[in-house]
Amino acid sequence: MKLPISWLREFVDVPDDALAVSTRLAGCGFAAESVDGDVIDFEVTANRPDCLSVLGLAREAATAFSLPLRAPSPAGDAGLNTPSSGPTVPVVIDTPACGRYAMVVADVRVAASPAWLADRLIAAGVRPINNIVDVTNYVMLELGQPMHAFDYAKLTGPEIHVRAARAGEQLTTLDGETRKLAAGMPVIADRDRAVALAGVMGGRATEVSNATTRIAIESAWFDPKAVRLMARKVGLNTEASARFERGADIDNPVRAIARALALIGSIDAGRAAGPVVDVYPAPVHAPVIDLRREYLNRLLGLRDAHAIPAADVVRVLTSLGFGVESAGADWRVTVPAFRVDVTREADLVEEVGRHWGFDRIPATFPALRTAPPIRSFGVTEDHRLARLMSGAGLQEAATFTFIEHAMAAPFVADASRLVTIANPLSEKFVVLRPSLIPGLLDALVYNRHRQQEDVRLFESGAVFSAECERRAIGWVLSGSRTDHWSERREGVDFFDAKGIAELVGRAMGRAIDVQPGDDLTFCAPGRRARLVSGGTACGWIGQVAPTVVAARGLKASDAVYAGEIDLREIEKSRKDWRGTTTPPRHPAVVRDLSFVVNQATAAADILRAIQRVPRTQTSPAVTVRIFDHYEGKGIPDHHVSLSFRLMLQAEDRTLTDTEVQDAVDAIVRAITAGFGATLR
Amino acid sequence: MASVQRILDLRSEFDVAVQAARTSADVKAIRDAFIGRKSGRLNAILKDLSSASIEDKQSVGRLANDLKQHIESRLGALEAQLATAAPIAGALDVTLPGRLPRAGRRHPLTQVRERIESIFTSMGYEIITGPELEDDWHNFEALNMPGEHPARDMQDTLYLSAPIPGEDGGPAATLLRTHTSGMQIRHMESHDPPVRIIAPGRVYRRDDFDATHTPMFTQVEGLVVDEGISLGDLKGTLNTFAEQLFDRPVQTRFRPSFFPYTEPSAEMDVACGNCEGAGCALCKLTGWIEVLGCGMVHPAVFEAVNKARGKTVFDPDRHTGFAFGIGIERLALRFWGIDDIRMFYENDLRFLDQGGL
Repeated sequence: MKLPISWLREFVDVPDDALAVSTRLAGCGFAAESVDGDVIDFEVTANRPDCLSVLGLAREAATAFSLPLRAPSPAGDAGLNTPSSGPTVPVVIDTPACGRYAMVVADVRVAASPAWLADRLIAAGVRPINNIVDVTNYVMLELGQPMHAFDYAKLTGPEIHVRAARAGEQLTTLDGETRKLAAGMPVIADRDRAVALAGVMGGRATEVSNATTRIAIESAWFDPKAVRLMARKVGLNTEASARFERGADIDNPVRAIARALALIGSIDAGRAAGPVVDVYPAPVHAPVIDLRREYLNRLLGLRDAHAIPAADVVRVLTSLGFGVESAGADWRVTVPAFRVDVTREADLVEEVGRHWGFDRIPATFPALRTAPPIRSFGVTEDHRLARLMSGAGLQEAATFTFIEHAMAAPFVADASRLVTIANPLSEKFVVLRPSLIPGLLDALVYNRHRQQEDVRLFESGAVFSAECERRAIGWVLSGSRTDHWSERREGVDFFDAKGIAELVGRAMGRAIDVQPGDDLTFCAPGRRARLVSGGTACGWIGQVAPTVVAARGLKASDAVYAGEIDLREIEKSRKDWRGTTTPPRHPAVVRDLSFVVNQATAAADILRAIQRVPRTQTSPAVTVRIFDHYEGKGIPDHHVSLSFRLMLQAEDRTLTDTEVQDAVDAIVRAITAGFGATLR
Repeated sequence: MASVQRILDLRSEFDVAVQAARTSADVKAIRDAFIGRKSGRLNAILKDLSSASIEDKQSVGRLANDLKQHIESRLGALEAQLATAAPIAGALDVTLPGRLPRAGRRHPLTQVRERIESIFTSMGYEIITGPELEDDWHNFEALNMPGEHPARDMQDTLYLSAPIPGEDGGPAATLLRTHTSGMQIRHMESHDPPVRIIAPGRVYRRDDFDATHTPMFTQVEGLVVDEGISLGDLKGTLNTFAEQLFDRPVQTRFRPSFFPYTEPSAEMDVACGNCEGAGCALCKLTGWIEVLGCGMVHPAVFEAVNKARGKTVFDPDRHTGFAFGIGIERLALRFWGIDDIRMFYENDLRFLDQGGL
């Protein structure tokens, strides 16, 4: 709301200093968007339609500066100076969307407005049109009451029906658009047709023109919800609709007509031809709210020494237009019709508090009356994983949750199951990511295009499918594993990506196994796998398919490895990672075994088989790892040599040679028999 | 006496020359030059002495002897030193760069978020999280923004093309949450007072992507409900928060504002760290930067929760509470001294991988 300070000063003697006024009002809840010369552009919050007017802001200023408020002239309905007889337009309200409808007929000379009037409108951001339209706009800005002038001669009847639009009805609005009206939309109609969208915009057919000599001025109250719905439906957001949909002052219509007629007279543009018609079927009674001193103090946190003096409570509320009656230590407060936002005691506390000044309320500290809560698992867990990932050399990224369709599509089996936004900002932000990898991949590409060769990124966050929203952690790796001058640059590979998965699994106290991932079509064949933990699929790893990489702007030959773990799934199978074991005190025995097996044999199967070799209760415990994988000279074609390091251990004693040999023999027997392996 | 002076000068010259000696060849050259039998400069001085008096010869001879001993002992020590410093097999060029462990970093937004979480955890708050896809009830209706409430315009909402099933069998999600305030409702629906929580997470608005706006940002919602909670408590809590975040006293200011789910409502500004309140481009000449919205929980919010629970658990006559919503990006700009919010989402390693982060 743009307000020239001179206009404000017609109602209250604030200093002639726009900056000083805007600073003071900001402290009461009216921040200035900008101050340009002597025009302040106030940000008026959605709850204060009364302050979409000079008078409303003047009331705030008067209260803030403790100055009296001068009412506009003429003050109220009493200032009406209309003939007791003469032409009128009969008004019929036939929709609940209209609470009050006032109208007066006036004889006018349409011309350009005088300079002072036009200049004020321009300063307030409204384009001058002609003296009649300008007066209606002037009154709207001054009193907050939207008004509309019809060309009386063009109203059939002349009659006014405030009614629901009929099916198939059409209306050409002032902006020249011909609009099909939906049945039920509240319209202003004459005897034959709709002539205006109620509270939103007038119609072309009854517009005031230079040839107009008699007008009918509308000053009404429309239901906020009805106006808002219609404005949205027809896609119009006007000065009038902005006021009605937030809540106009139902006491204002006749007052505004009086003010408009006075202005029309003062600029010698005409005068009323007949009396005011005011249809107000169910007058609204001003609500009365009790304000308790105890509640005021309790909500604001004012102990006796800091309590707001009763005189100040009364002064603030009275100055803002409330009726105040003391009731012991408390108050009975009557709410004026323009304060549609005030419906409860807490609202009154705010009125008093904000004009008393939030800065004068002493800062205190809430008592902690219950034990601190047990830390919620999900959040601490996410942070722990993120620390682990960054410690492992991955940089945390933050990518957008919504991505473009082409980015998302390769990562799902059925692109029609992607979750999409109905009203996206642009096609770049239309799909809710089904995976963290598309966003990370683009972040990787962004860096590659900026000469960053070695890129290792991770992110944890929500991913989406038509079934649900889940938390996941994902990572992408490319470039070389090391960039030190002393080492040969060696590209990252599948096992770097797999290691990250194993790291996450370890942190969750869970072994991560792999299964064939032939359905992972966004990964290169032969270099992809599903991750499985405790029997449930919980993610995947692989080399991102060259076609996918190329589509995002890298060379198809650029190897990008990636992986993703569904945190909800892995948490289901999580073990308590805090469990520890004490290392045995007796020495362990290490034995290495190399087997030659067919290339098609999965190393993990042999590992598992070694651990499953039947043992008696007294057999030593065996831990095993693979320490070499070799194919080539000395090994038959299509075969591979796998070397295992066994660590044999008993809890309670040092193992004898025989015990060790028996255990190793059993393992060799099992592996040679079970896998057709030969001991090397 | 000229000879005495020549010997003293020679000593000075030697002391300079010996500094530059690096190899045993250098040592030999210096020895030859100063005390060599044939061309040594000391001998040359002594030869010139043949015509001098006995007394002169004696005093010069003493000096010459002293100098000779000085030279021998210095060169001897140097030779011994050079012998031990002879090139060692495997000697390193220690000036080559070290092998920097490859550690990644937490994203600057995560770091600020975690810092905020730990501040509130230390004040006894529980951290909770919830879905980013919300239903109308939790995002709007229960927060005193029924159907056609104009305040819905304040938060231009992104809607889903088709609803997806809600969390834990709750109502189907239809929109991207516009704030984390829905977590107030979710928590109160299942917890009784006293309540003391924060709820961090991403939120979404149909906003442009420029230096000061993103269509997606991160909020930390806070809610405290108990008997006797006041606006003063809100001020005390958030002042403390600001000081702990920046690790120094920070001037704050509370301006009245409007949110449908708080009454009274306020916005907290912190004194601009760039100009210390004098007014600069960063704070649009006001000296203040708006960092969060807050207020006293609106009684209508308690009523909505009670309605959902089918009984009065949060009694507006007994319980009061405060709530706040911190925008992490705004704070992070100030925290890290950055002036473009897009930096947080470009994921440029040249920005993310800096020692200062």
